[in-house]
Amino acid sequence: MASLLNWMIFVPCIGAVLCLFSPKQAAKSVALLTALVTLLLSVIIAVDYYTVQGASGVQYVTAVSWISSINAEYRTGVDGLSLPLVLLTTSLSVLVVLASWNIEKATGAFMALYLFLMSGMLGVFLSLDMFLFYVFFEISLLPMYFLIGIWGGPRKEYAAIKFFLYTLAGSICLLIVMLGLYFITPKAGLNLPNAGNTWDMMVLQSLPVRMLFANGGEYWGFAQAAFWLTMIAFLIKLPAVPFHTWLPDAHVEAPTPISMILAGVLLKMGGYAMMRITYPFFPAAAQEFWVYVAVLGVIAIIYGALCAMAQTDWKKLVAYSSVSHMGYVTLGLATLTRVGFDGAYYQMIGHGITSALMFFLVGVVYERAHHREINRLGGIWLKFPGYGGWSLLGFFAGMGLPGLCGFIGEIMVLLSAFQAAGNVNLIGAAGARSAADVQCWSYTLGVIAAAGVVLTAGYILWMFQRVYMGVEKPEYSHYAPINAREYVIMTALGLGAVVFGILPYLVFDLTTPTFNSLLSILGS
Amino acid sequence: MGSHNTIINLLSFALVAPLVSSLLAILLTRRVMFKAAGVFTTLVMLAACIASWYAGFLWMGDKPAAPLVCNIPWIPLHGMAAGYLYLGVMVDGLTIAMMCMVTLISTLVHLYSIGYMNGDKRYNRFFAYLSLFSFSMLGIVLANSIMMLFVFWELVGLTSYLLIGFWFEKRGPQLACKKAFVMNRIGDMGFLVGFGILFYQLGGRLLLPATGGQPANMFASLLDVLMKQDPNFSISNPPLWLTAAGIGLFFGAIGKSAQFPLHTWLPDAMEGPTPVSSIVHSATMVAAGVYLTARIYPILTPGAHLFIATIGLITLVIAACMALVMHDIKRVLAYSTLSQLGYMILGLGAGAWSFALFHLITHAFFKCCLFQCSGSVIHAAHHQQDMRYYGGLGRKMPITFACFAICTLAIAGASIPYTDIGISGFYSKDGIIAGTVNYGNALGGLFGPISKLYFWGPTAVAYLTVFYMTRSLALTFLGKPRDQHLYDNAHEAPWQMWLPQVVLAVMAIAAAPILMPMWLSNINHTHDAMVNSGVTWVQPGVAEELGQGMHYAHAKLLHGLSWIIMIAAGLVLFATEGGKKAVAAFVKLPGVGLIHNWFYNKFYFDALYDVFAVGLGKTIALICAALDKHVIDGVVNLTGFVTKIAASLTGRFDNRVVDGAVNGAATAARSGGDMLRSTQPGRIRVYVLGAFASACFVVLAVLVVVIVSR
Repeated sequence: MASLLNWMIFVPCIGAVLCLFSPKQAAKSVALLTALVTLLLSVIIAVDYYTVQGASGVQYVTAVSWISSINAEYRTGVDGLSLPLVLLTTSLSVLVVLASWNIEKATGAFMALYLFLMSGMLGVFLSLDMFLFYVFFEISLLPMYFLIGIWGGPRKEYAAIKFFLYTLAGSICLLIVMLGLYFITPKAGLNLPNAGNTWDMMVLQSLPVRMLFANGGEYWGFAQAAFWLTMIAFLIKLPAVPFHTWLPDAHVEAPTPISMILAGVLLKMGGYAMMRITYPFFPAAAQEFWVYVAVLGVIAIIYGALCAMAQTDWKKLVAYSSVSHMGYVTLGLATLTRVGFDGAYYQMIGHGITSALMFFLVGVVYERAHHREINRLGGIWLKFPGYGGWSLLGFFAGMGLPGLCGFIGEIMVLLSAFQAAGNVNLIGAAGARSAADVQCWSYTLGVIAAAGVVLTAGYILWMFQRVYMGVEKPEYSHYAPINAREYVIMTALGLGAVVFGILPYLVFDLTTPTFNSLLSILGS
Repeated sequence: MGSHNTIINLLSFALVAPLVSSLLAILLTRRVMFKAAGVFTTLVMLAACIASWYAGFLWMGDKPAAPLVCNIPWIPLHGMAAGYLYLGVMVDGLTIAMMCMVTLISTLVHLYSIGYMNGDKRYNRFFAYLSLFSFSMLGIVLANSIMMLFVFWELVGLTSYLLIGFWFEKRGPQLACKKAFVMNRIGDMGFLVGFGILFYQLGGRLLLPATGGQPANMFASLLDVLMKQDPNFSISNPPLWLTAAGIGLFFGAIGKSAQFPLHTWLPDAMEGPTPVSSIVHSATMVAAGVYLTARIYPILTPGAHLFIATIGLITLVIAACMALVMHDIKRVLAYSTLSQLGYMILGLGAGAWSFALFHLITHAFFKCCLFQCSGSVIHAAHHQQDMRYYGGLGRKMPITFACFAICTLAIAGASIPYTDIGISGFYSKDGIIAGTVNYGNALGGLFGPISKLYFWGPTAVAYLTVFYMTRSLALTFLGKPRDQHLYDNAHEAPWQMWLPQVVLAVMAIAAAPILMPMWLSNINHTHDAMVNSGVTWVQPGVAEELGQGMHYAHAKLLHGLSWIIMIAAGLVLFATEGGKKAVAAFVKLPGVGLIHNWFYNKFYFDALYDVFAVGLGKTIALICAALDKHVIDGVVNLTGFVTKIAASLTGRFDNRVVDGAVNGAATAARSGGDMLRSTQPGRIRVYVLGAFASACFVVLAVLVVVIVSR
């Protein structure tokens, strides 16, 4: 099984090389086949994982010495934190390849880059070694840079460079923390080979290492700085206000399938990395700074929604809705409660489905209208009734309607914001805050976050009215009908939105053991 | 126990059947049996109705002491005692009464729609939405927990959005459906806050399994939980958070039941097809807020009661004032609905729990019927809704006229003078008013004379109700035709439309006293259970036991003569030419004209909200977007710009100073360049490969730096 896991990372790489050297049509088929094989591998692993998952959840570990002089290892494995995101990546990838079917410019290169990207994403989720994680984190940037920079819209160069530099700036922060960790870990007195320097994430979040970073511990100062440096790295990726401005530009310029994967999976790398690195490595700092993080989350929810409301570019509206929705992830994590973590995680899965669907829905019209001005559209529902139905589902799922996948994450995070009022961990070790302070903060944050549901309804419905309702415009007459390929993609994502809105245990059954140990680290 | 399982199964079937038929109806597109959608969904709804009534009779035969509960774990809550948020079904007397009412009305509205929507190009979708609505509404009624209730609460919001906006080609419905949803969401925000506070304060205890391992139903055990948490708990001296939570949850009801100050969406919702108005925006969905308030009753503190009663009082008064002056037949009914919902909310706040819910049931029948009649009139009048163009239609549409007249009597609370015998509205409204008398007296110590308003308000509005309903009746069906063309083309509705009207009119008469056991007795069953669990602040559910209040209500309502007086006044003023002239002259009087305008413009609430809520919201949104573009992005771009300048400066330095020394190498470089040019065939694929290779190189370089730095 461990070897299957590694195959899963590198099968897309092999497919990418094949794509490069095959003609246009064949490249598409190769890419689709590769994506399907990867999906199959991930499903096999998931089924097997479900039956064998252990107490901590980490399974199928491969550990091979890679750069022995710095103890960097090729260490991969899967647990409840990564598996649902891996499944999201592999299944979305199939749909993304299908959505790219109309790419005519250098198809082979496009597909190859996409498959490279896929390897990078899977690598990020599956690596258990900080160094390897960093390498994959960077590798996933490059294909994205070219996919936006070459196949993008009019301002593609600007958007691509902005995306790249922004994320790279975050990576530097991460690199600093990594170096610090590398030199501090030997002080933990762990009985490890090679003088105790290690990049192994599971070791780095073990109790002796955490003791060094505890409030008042030997490296408490470093822990505080490191918490914020890693947070900045991942908040940029997530993205959280005020580090978010790369996102609307990247989305507006990126071609539809790339937007789908960018919103669907790449943003989740930020949330995933917080849960994998920031929180378990520096739990004391997380308790110390929870208010700031929570405030960032709430600002993102409200500010993102307000910005979305003001947009006239349809795709930019959806992009800002991502900012708003990812705010729930930040808020859920900040509360340091189990409900908050579960909710934040579910929000990532749910948003992975709905954002991909929403971007695809925008793309369908854009491909026909060649513009995305909300005010120039209208009456689309009359023109395409079936498409209108799926749009209704997609956008209402994005709005967080119960029974659809956006709801569960949102309601859990909201409840956790109130529950945080009773979380003793949030008082802080040195008594920085009183229990009444915590209560006051959590109520305030909860009420403001709840206001997000009104704003979300506002911008989604206003957009829906302007785009879908009203009478058909004469220029629609030459629009091609929605084809079967498009229906397949919409149906798959739409059904996903329904299924994950009704059966949350599909995700939670996989995550439970891992989250049990994660939350015990955080003291809840 | 056997019959109890059967009851749960029957009701579960009644819940799920409309969902299935809704999904199937979507598939009956114009190519495949388009016309069948109406009949099919109506039959399924009829089956659900029969199942519910059968379950109702089983229930009456063998009433269990505790509610029947079936809980299904849904969202896991790790680390909390309860372990899950549950979905599921809870059946008690109130549920049974509501199920029977909702399924019956829904069936009749489905039937009515077959006639009304005939020929619409989205015929099948209409029935799909209508069935989906019924599913959602039944989900609210059967809900076992606040969580489940909220899920279906939102689904009701969605279906209402779809139904109001059904004719989305036109601008009116577009705006109306958006407004309805957003207004509801504002209420939901309060609901979520209230739920959040409860969730934190009671935590797992809110959902603790009862004895026997079966988790208790959330509603009945709320008080129990409170008492267990704090042995000294007393509702007369409650913690502040409990009042806050109660008011928060009630905000959801303000949104859904269109109470002041979120009431403005309901009249606009009349843009939807009339069958929609008749079920969604009069009989059932708007009653969901009342239902919610009734369910959370055990945790409402005196402060919350006062808040609820005040909101109800304000709503019922202002809505009646607006109903007095509207010209659109459906809008009059819409404001009348608002006003009657105000009665129910006031009744709940005042503690007249049973009668408020009884009024919900009786109101559902006569208001649904009134809307259907207005729909038949609009249908006959070719979508003219302004009553100024009607007149004398009673001669053309006798059945509709009769039904409308009966229901006007029902809403008026007509009774045989000096007796206790009347038709349905009489019983329910009398109980509410009696409850408010007791409540006002109890408040007296606190507020002095002002507390009398809680009783005088609904009493005065009871008179107004009769008056504005008679006005509608007279303007539409009596007098001389004012638009001859319209009158000549008018005709009685087809049987699919008049049959439901007749059934509803019969129900409006018979809902009380004949069917009293089905409605009031079942409601009282839940009422008694609540009292037994320690809810002491609820008034009796039996008219005779309301004591002083009942006596007072009768006396003030002139022993039932009032309605006759008001109907007579209405007929004289609006059915005769002289009366109409007198009214017109009266309205022109200076002071009266001002008030009339104020009422007619809906107290300028819409204008106020447009400026202060919508306008302000949009402005803030624009400011945020500008901030994003110019400030936040400005900093980002500035950073990039400064870096570029710095780079070009170092570049120049490099060119002139450093490069001067290496100029000699230029020749060599040129020949090298020629060689390299052959590797640049200008194909993207190769660039990409090169880029990828250089990326790998960058990663390697990072690696080397790390190694060296060690």
